[in-house]
Amino acid sequence: MKCKAVHNNLIFFLEKELPDSEMKEVREHLNSCPDCALFAEEMKKTFGILEVEKAVEVNPFFYTRVKARLENQEQEQVVGRPLLVRVLQPVTFSILLVLAVYGGIKMGQPYHSATGNDGLNEMQMIPYLNEMDAEPIEAFLME
Amino acid sequence: MSDPEIIEQLKQGSELAFKKLVETHQKLVVNTCFGLVHNREDAEDIAQDVFIEVYRNIQKFRADSKLSTWLYRIAVNRSLNHIRDNKKNRWFHSFEDEVSAKNKQLQQLESSNSDQPEFELENKQRATILYEAINELPKNQKVAFTLSKYEELSYQEIAEVMELSVSSVESLLFRAKKALQKKLYKCYQKKCM
Repeated sequence: MKCKAVHNNLIFFLEKELPDSEMKEVREHLNSCPDCALFAEEMKKTFGILEVEKAVEVNPFFYTRVKARLENQEQEQVVGRPLLVRVLQPVTFSILLVLAVYGGIKMGQPYHSATGNDGLNEMQMIPYLNEMDAEPIEAFLME
Repeated sequence: MSDPEIIEQLKQGSELAFKKLVETHQKLVVNTCFGLVHNREDAEDIAQDVFIEVYRNIQKFRADSKLSTWLYRIAVNRSLNHIRDNKKNRWFHSFEDEVSAKNKQLQQLESSNSDQPEFELENKQRATILYEAINELPKNQKVAFTLSKYEELSYQEIAEVMELSVSSVESLLFRAKKALQKKLYKCYQKKCM
């Protein structure tokens, strides 16, 4: 068995998940290849960490802490948020929003509808336009 | 007190039943969370939230699955949420970078505390390497591997918790182990372990 094949199956060898024949081949290779044996040892020690972690004792104050957290959360719910936050704040923001939309609409309307002088302005423009018709630009330049 | 009795009494608001529930399943929940987040304090914090969620939603619990399956599901979901929320700024770091940075931190910490024997430092370095390798696994592989290794659940039990078929769990575990082996070998070659 080659080193690469051993590396590919080492984790399954360590977990004894390989068929018997392959287990034997890997074992024989590890006995004859110090480099692979060293890596296998490293892998074994590294995965051994999981066993150590599992054995850690549980915190004796765990239930007390759960209870305290639960009570704190319940108290927060009972007290609730103050009136200002629960009612006044959304109402204020809604009013401001409506005012902003209304203001936007008003500002977006054309200026002439607000002033009411547009009739006069149009009348003042008409004579000039008529003059342009009566006296073409070529005639004006000739003069 | 059996699990169905605990559930029944908890539904009636019994504080004693809640205490019993926490005491009976505390290790299961903390270990599962720890297997995913790899930090004891964070794991206990998440586990506390798991029990609070159970307390609040006990009326919704139907006896279709076991209580432990439900606890595992909540613990896994909450731990994954915690990981997601803490994943900022880690996207562009390679596995080797993470390991060497953490080992450096660890060495600095240990050098200031000379009472610790050397093998303990070595174990901590190994743990860092292993946790980083597990953290790099895709979500489903990580969950399956954690439930298998930390809780020693059978393929069938993992399939129930993850709501997958047994063959999917087999495949997830196979791929997880292959990926871990590859990462550890790469690390071994680069002398980070």
